[in-house]
Amino acid sequence: MNGQKPLEMILARNLLSSVSTPAFLVGEEGVLLFYNEAAAAMLGRRFEETGTMPADQWTAEFGPFDGDDIPMPYDQIPATRAIRENRPYHGNFRIGGAGGRHYEIAASAIPIVGPAGASGAIVIFWPVTVQEGETG
Amino acid sequence: MKLKVWGARGSIPAPGPETMRYGGNTSCIELTLSDGSTLILDSGTGIRNLGLALGGGDPIQQPIHILLTHLHLDHIQGLMFFAPAFRPDSEIIIWGPASPEASLRDRIARYISAPLAPVEVRELPSLLSFREAEPLEWEIGPAKIRAQAVNHRGPTLGYRIEDAGTSLCYIPDHEPGLGAPLSALDDDWISGFELAQGASMLVHDCQYTDREYPNHLGWGHSPMSDALEFGHRVAAERLLLFHHDPLHSDADLDDMAAAVAVRWEQLGGSAEQVELATERRELVIAGSRVRV
Repeated sequence: MNGQKPLEMILARNLLSSVSTPAFLVGEEGVLLFYNEAAAAMLGRRFEETGTMPADQWTAEFGPFDGDDIPMPYDQIPATRAIRENRPYHGNFRIGGAGGRHYEIAASAIPIVGPAGASGAIVIFWPVTVQEGETG
Repeated sequence: MKLKVWGARGSIPAPGPETMRYGGNTSCIELTLSDGSTLILDSGTGIRNLGLALGGGDPIQQPIHILLTHLHLDHIQGLMFFAPAFRPDSEIIIWGPASPEASLRDRIARYISAPLAPVEVRELPSLLSFREAEPLEWEIGPAKIRAQAVNHRGPTLGYRIEDAGTSLCYIPDHEPGLGAPLSALDDDWISGFELAQGASMLVHDCQYTDREYPNHLGWGHSPMSDALEFGHRVAAERLLLFHHDPLHSDADLDDMAAAVAVRWEQLGGSAEQVELATERRELVIAGSRVRV
């Protein structure tokens, strides 16, 4: 066991596992702690397959991607800066998913702040457009 | 440590001939520590009889510590009828969950005040103080106490008390399986896991039968299967199932006890490790086993 997760993160994960809205649960240092089945359907990989992923790994695989289809470093994602300031963020991003598809998504990142301080964030997203993308 | 159950009922007192054996008083446990001092866990209606047993005219141990898991009425309703609170020679320290909304004293005063009560907190003759339980460990007498937020409606704590090589974990109101089956979760994603892990005795919510639970999702209480799964996962040495539903008669609880024994053995435990809490039941928690 890596250490008991804060109650608010436990509840957040249980909530996301119960909804059909694609969503990530991100923890300290940008670790991807969980994503639900709806998100897995878009990304093409189930959470049971990937497990938790450090920030540099999941951004390299899933995005978001810049206009040149290069993964954005986690620290440079606008939502990251907002969450670190305990602010929510809403914006459009480009992510990569199953079969080389690229999705334009609308994403809302909501900070989770418990009694002991910031615990992480919920990122809820929805496809805006679906494009056939190039792989490699 | 020694444990005595003064109230094992949840939600609302349930007196009457149908509940005589398991009892109708709401949550209250008396814990006697290795030095003979007393901790009280929750102050449901069961604390009234505990107060009568503590008091009379004899000197009372000072101070009396009451650890509240949360402020739902079934866990604080007995405070106003706790005899030592009306003795000027008593000192009582009430511990409970913090809230950003108001102090512990002010939240309890909502009950012990007009129009809900004929007395105000400030009028109680005893020396009464309130402390919000911190996430760090603290000591009361020979015991080390730890509190942790657990999954229930509103700010709710579980407590772990360690004394003389034994441990009691008290989580009377808990729904760890809400939203995700416990079997699908790693240990660190289970509410209350770390607090309860390896406890000599775990006192845990078991309000509903598995059949009842689907109609009570999100109410903050556990069905039998989740209570047992949780106890199994944390490897508690003994399990005392608590917070009986007010609709459950003695006969209903007998049926549940039989089902519990079967299910616990299916999980690899032995039947003598688990029981349903009964009012006035006394247990000694000693080393790696519990003596009755």
